[in-house]
Amino acid sequence: MTPNVKRPRRKLVARPVTFSPFARSAAHLASAYMIKRQMIENKLHESCQHTPNGKCCGQRNIDETDSDSDEESSEGVVQADFAFFDPKPDDFHGVKTLVQTFLDNEEWNLSGFVDLILEQTTVGTVVKLEDEDDDGLFSVVTALNLGRYKASDIYMQLALELDHKCMKELEEYILSVCHESNLVEQLRLLFSKRARDVGLLVSQRVVNLPPQLLPPLYDALFDEVSWAVEDEPTEELRNSFRFKTYLIVTKIYKHKKANGKLEKKADNEEEPVIYVKAEDELFHELSSWSFSFPLKIQHVTSSEATEELRINGVGYGSRSRQNPHIPTAVALSDRR
Amino acid sequence: MATRLQFENNCEVGVFSKLTNAYCLVAIGGSESFYSIFETELADVIPVVKTSIGGTRIIGRLCAGNKNGLLLPHNTTDQELQHLRNSLPDSVVVQRIEERLSALGNVIACNDHVALAHTDLDRETEELIADVLGVEVFRQTIAGNILVGSYCALSNRGGLVHPHTSIEDLDELSTLLQIPLVAGTVNRGSEVIAAGMTVNDWTAFCGSDTTATELSVIESVFKLREAQPSAIVDEMRKSLIDSYV
Repeated sequence: MTPNVKRPRRKLVARPVTFSPFARSAAHLASAYMIKRQMIENKLHESCQHTPNGKCCGQRNIDETDSDSDEESSEGVVQADFAFFDPKPDDFHGVKTLVQTFLDNEEWNLSGFVDLILEQTTVGTVVKLEDEDDDGLFSVVTALNLGRYKASDIYMQLALELDHKCMKELEEYILSVCHESNLVEQLRLLFSKRARDVGLLVSQRVVNLPPQLLPPLYDALFDEVSWAVEDEPTEELRNSFRFKTYLIVTKIYKHKKANGKLEKKADNEEEPVIYVKAEDELFHELSSWSFSFPLKIQHVTSSEATEELRINGVGYGSRSRQNPHIPTAVALSDRR
Repeated sequence: MATRLQFENNCEVGVFSKLTNAYCLVAIGGSESFYSIFETELADVIPVVKTSIGGTRIIGRLCAGNKNGLLLPHNTTDQELQHLRNSLPDSVVVQRIEERLSALGNVIACNDHVALAHTDLDRETEELIADVLGVEVFRQTIAGNILVGSYCALSNRGGLVHPHTSIEDLDELSTLLQIPLVAGTVNRGSEVIAAGMTVNDWTAFCGSDTTATELSVIESVFKLREAQPSAIVDEMRKSLIDSYV
């Protein structure tokens, strides 16, 4: 049984998978054609038939008419098949790169954290290209139970001391950056007594991952959590996936002048907060509480990000003149 | 002895530092713990110098050096050049060279006696390497890669090369360099050896992802177990006495 039988394969027109400057300019070209492509694709999807192994015949027509069968095309459009896989130990370097800035530039046991993610094969997904040999990782999504990595007695504590130091460091970091006193108390409670009910939602991906992948990705995650509640071999593991709370640590862009002052000549559409990941906006709305704190890393990509926003025409045009202040929000949401 | 450490959560310590038998260069801007680990190991033996090259922190990949000299790329600023000249011992010749391939750490791999160079290096650069570093220069590739400086780490006692180097290549290089060579990885399977570690005759620094197996390979090929800076002199003394008997 291949790992992606239960997952719908998405054949999508995607941006180039490399990170060179040439690839970036090709990606900008691609975005210009994206809308036109999506219109064509929608028409084809309606009329296509699914072959037994799930391939969409309509897509192949695009291949032929475009002569896009190789990686680089004159139009800058690249075909890529993404597939969802369970985390494997081989994915270490890819996941580590994605999770590198999870806690800003804090020095912590990042490798240990990545190991924990990869150990949990039942809940968690990595997004790679269809071709099994390719090592390039585009996204990782998982939910880690905070309580599982806590010692129940002193002997376990000594044993866990080295391996799961990362979770302790993560909790300490979050407690240290939270400046709202009422939330600190709640956080402390979550990290100690209620840790067994808390799931840390880790979702990292490359910036230009096609957004069409996101709904199935999150569906897969929450499906796996509910399957784990029934299928895990031991009682303890089963209970560890009955999350009552999810904790999310993520990055947003906040308008520098958004703290209280009204801008006289601001556009009405100007939003004070830009979400790097689209689903964060939804999570933020649904969350029970959240707080934000400033990041210390100077993000090289900030000007590129604002440029991209402009190209996508989302109406953040005036943003490019400002250097956005870049905080991170910690949002908390109840279990669905 | 090999030590594991990281620079700001990054395990590529060979990028942010350069270690030779006469001095050690460390990038600025890292946490104090990075700097202090070098200091603890190297303390009174050789100077540990904090610097940048061309305003960047990737000093390990931009410069090439051994105990005789240090070669810097053309984009090194005058202040950095002066700072290095002041901080390094007088026996070390510090030279800035005009070379199109400016990442000297990636194109030159050297120890105190011999150097491997990128096949497209200028003739003048090759001569400068031979003069300043006091080495014999060979234009070579490693496992088909022309960036010899990235894919191998050399000391006077051994060398670690790209894992896909064939046995014939290993033998050829070993004869050329006159040191034992081993093909291996660092930082949990990374093939870019020189970026993941830095080494001299008695100590090595590797990224913290390096597994115990990789570390033991490193310690054995570079003969770091029980190695002290004075051991080289002591051993030589023993062999000298033996020859009289």
